[in-house]
Amino acid sequence: MSTETASGHHLSTPHPALSTRNRLSSWLDREDVLGYILVAPVALVVLGFLAYPFGLALWLSLTDKVIGGDAHYVGLQNYERIWQNGIFQGAVRNTLIFTASSIAAKLPIGFALALLLNEKIRFRKAFRSAVLLPWIIPTVLSAMAWLWLYNPNFSILNYVIANLGLGRGIRWLTDPNIALFSVVLVNVWRGTPFYAITLLAGMQAIPNELYEATSIDGANRWQRFRHVTLPLVMPIMLITLLLSTIGTFSDFATIYSITGGGPMNATQVISTYSYGTALGAGRMGEGAAISLTMFPFLMVMMIWEIRWLMKRQSA
Amino acid sequence: MQPASVSRRRLIGLIAAASALPLAVACGATAPAATSVPAKAAEAPKPAEAAKPAQPAAAPPATSAKPGGSLAGTKLTILTGNSFVPAQDKLVDNMVADLGQQTGMDAKVERPGAQMAAKIATIIESGAGGDIAIMADTDPFLYGDKLADVSEIASEIDKAWGGWYDVAKQSCIVDGKWRALSVGHAPCAWNYRTDMFKAAGIDKFPDTFDELTEAAAKLHAKGTPMGMTLGHAGGDGRSTNYPVLWAHGGKEFQKDGRTVALESPETLKSIEWYVKIFKYLDPASLAWLDPDNNQAFLAGKVSAMTNVNTVYLAARDAAATDPEKKKLIENMDHANWPSGPAGRVASHNINLWAGFGNSKNRDGQFAFFRGWFDKKFLVPYTKVGQSYFIPPLADIEKEDAWPDDPKLKIFRELNKINRVIGWEGPPTRAVAEMVSKFVLVDMYAQAVTGKMTPTEAMKWAANEYKQAAAKL
Repeated sequence: MSTETASGHHLSTPHPALSTRNRLSSWLDREDVLGYILVAPVALVVLGFLAYPFGLALWLSLTDKVIGGDAHYVGLQNYERIWQNGIFQGAVRNTLIFTASSIAAKLPIGFALALLLNEKIRFRKAFRSAVLLPWIIPTVLSAMAWLWLYNPNFSILNYVIANLGLGRGIRWLTDPNIALFSVVLVNVWRGTPFYAITLLAGMQAIPNELYEATSIDGANRWQRFRHVTLPLVMPIMLITLLLSTIGTFSDFATIYSITGGGPMNATQVISTYSYGTALGAGRMGEGAAISLTMFPFLMVMMIWEIRWLMKRQSA
Repeated sequence: MQPASVSRRRLIGLIAAASALPLAVACGATAPAATSVPAKAAEAPKPAEAAKPAQPAAAPPATSAKPGGSLAGTKLTILTGNSFVPAQDKLVDNMVADLGQQTGMDAKVERPGAQMAAKIATIIESGAGGDIAIMADTDPFLYGDKLADVSEIASEIDKAWGGWYDVAKQSCIVDGKWRALSVGHAPCAWNYRTDMFKAAGIDKFPDTFDELTEAAAKLHAKGTPMGMTLGHAGGDGRSTNYPVLWAHGGKEFQKDGRTVALESPETLKSIEWYVKIFKYLDPASLAWLDPDNNQAFLAGKVSAMTNVNTVYLAARDAAATDPEKKKLIENMDHANWPSGPAGRVASHNINLWAGFGNSKNRDGQFAFFRGWFDKKFLVPYTKVGQSYFIPPLADIEKEDAWPDDPKLKIFRELNKINRVIGWEGPPTRAVAEMVSKFVLVDMYAQAVTGKMTPTEAMKWAANEYKQAAAKL
C-alpha cells in the first residue's frame, strides 16, 4: 500500500496491524510500563486475597460482630476493652518476648549455619538438604515431637539430663517462668533453616573476585567477612529478618499445640488469644481487634527496614 | 533531577513486605482455623486408645418419613466427631446409611476433626456446608436462632423416654425454644489404683474433700501422688476443676446469668482446699493437656486422676496381649466425686445435636433426630459406648444400655450429678468465653503455685468474669 505526499513522492506506509504492533512493542520497551504490567497479576492477587481480608478484619474489629449475628459499628470499643484486659496485656508482653528472643537466636545461628554451608566441606549438599528439614516438616507435626521431648510426665530431655547426672531435669512446660522459653526454642529450631538457606543464597551471589582482591590486599578471614560478606548480604538479611519477624509474631500452631497458652497464660500470645476469643466465644469483632493489635508493631518494623533498604540503594 | 525508577530488587522487596504484613495480621483471627487445632465441641472429650466394644447390631431407625416420600432426592450432611469408642462411629454410619435407604435421601456423615469449630462458624455465617452438627453445651446460646427450633422433637423424646434430665434442658433451651437435643454427657470419674491406695493404707476411695486431701498426703509420702489437671486442657481442665468450685458451694453466676457470683467465701474455701492438696499432687499436672493424665496413669506415675472411662477401656482392650495392662486393669477402679460442703457434683462434657436454621432440608433434619432417639438405635449405641456417653433421659435407666463390667458401674451414678457450666445461670456467651480462656482453671493454678494468694486469684478471676458479663 502507498500514499502520495504533498510533494508528489510516494511513500510506502506500514500495514495498520504492523503499525499497532510496533507501537505496542515500543511501549512495552519502556521499563516503567513493562514493570507495572508484569506486577499486575501479583497486585491483583494481593488485592483480592490480602487486602480484602485485611480490610474485612479492620471493619470487623470496629463492630460487635458475633458468629451468626449482625455486625453493628461500635467504634473503638473492642480496642478499649481488650486494652484493659489483664490476659491480653500478658499476651502482648509474651508475644514481644517470644518474637524478640526467637529472632535474636535465629539470626546468629542461621548466619553461622549459612557460613558453614558456604564452605567447601564434604557432604555439603547433604547437609544443605538436612538443614531444611525442620522448616519443611508441618508445624503441628514438629510441635507434637517437641511435646514428647518436653512431656510433663516423661520428658525425653529430662531423661537424658538425669542419665548424664546433671540433675532431675527442667520443668519445661510446668514452670510458668520456663514455659515461654521452651516454646521459643521450638520456634528457633523450626525457623533457623529459613535464615540459613536465604543467607546462603545471598552469600553465593557474592562474586569470588571480591574475596580474591581483598586477599591480595592482605585481608584476613575476619576482615573479609566484615568488609565483604556482611555488607553484601545485609539487604537479603533484612528482608529475611522482616519476613521472619512477621511469621514469628503471628505464630499460632507451635504454641497452641504444645501448651494451649498455659500454664496460667504463661505462653498466651496474641494469636492464641485471638483464636480463643473469635472461635471459642464466637466474638469475631473482638477477635479481629486482638489480631489487629499486631499491626502497629509490625508496621513500625516494616517501615524501618524498607527505609533502610531504600536509603542503602540510593547510596 | 532523575526520574524515580523501580529497580527490580526494590520492587521485590516492597511486594514481599507489603504482602506479608496484611496477611499476618488479617489471618491472625482466621488462620488458626486452617491449622490442626483441637476441636472444641464435637471432639470426644478424652483422647485415649481404641477401646474394645461389644457389638450389638443397631436396628434401622424408625423415622417419620416413608420410603420414596418427601425426602427422596434431598440431601442431608451430618457433621460429627470421632468417638473414642470406634464401634459407636460404625453404628452412626450404619444408621445414616439406613436412613438414606429408607427415605431415598442422600444422607452422609462428615467428620471434620480439628476443623469442626471453624466449620460450624462457616455454616452459620454462609448457610452452606452442612445441615446438622454435633455441638458443645454453650453453642445453642452462642448461635441462638441460627439453629433450628427442635421443640417439637424434644417434646416427642420427652414423652418417649420418661423426661429429659435438667442438665439437657439447661443446655438446649434458649429463650423458651429447644435449639438442640442433648446427645449425652461423658461422665468423668476418679480413676484410681487400688494397689497403690492399699499400699498407702487407704481401703476405699475418699468420700469427702477433706478425706481426699488426707489420702493425697499418704499417697505422696509413698511416692505415688495423685494428679489433677491444671493445664489448658479443653476437656479435663474443665471436668476436673468446676466440681471443686461447686462442691464447696461456689458458683460463677447468679440465676440471671449476668450477675457474677464468683467472689464469695465459698469460692475462697475451694481455692484454699486446692492450695492444701496441691502440695501432695504430681506437680506435672500443672501443665497437663488432655492426653497427659492418661499417660501418667497408664504408666503408674500417678495413683489417681479424673477421666472418662477410656483409660480403662483401652487398657482392658490391650490386656489380652499386654501383661502390664492386664495388671493395671486388675489394680484400678473408678470412683464418684467426693462430697463437699455443698454436695457431690460433677462437670461432664456435654454434646448436643443441632440443626442449622439455614438448612434447606428441615424434614431431613427431623428424620435424623427421630432416628437417633429411637430406642432401637440409642440403646445399642449407649451400650456399645460402655457408659462413655450417656443420654440424659430418665428411661435410659430401664434399658439394657449399661455395661456389665462391675468396674464401670459408678458411671451410672455419675450420670445423675452433672451440672451445666455457668451454674447457677445458663451457659451464655460469657460462660463460653471463660471456658475458652481457662479462667477458672487458672484461678486455681495461680493460687496453688503461689503466684497469687487465694484472695487475689479469686478477685482476678471474678474481674475476668465481670468483663465478659459486661459484654452480654
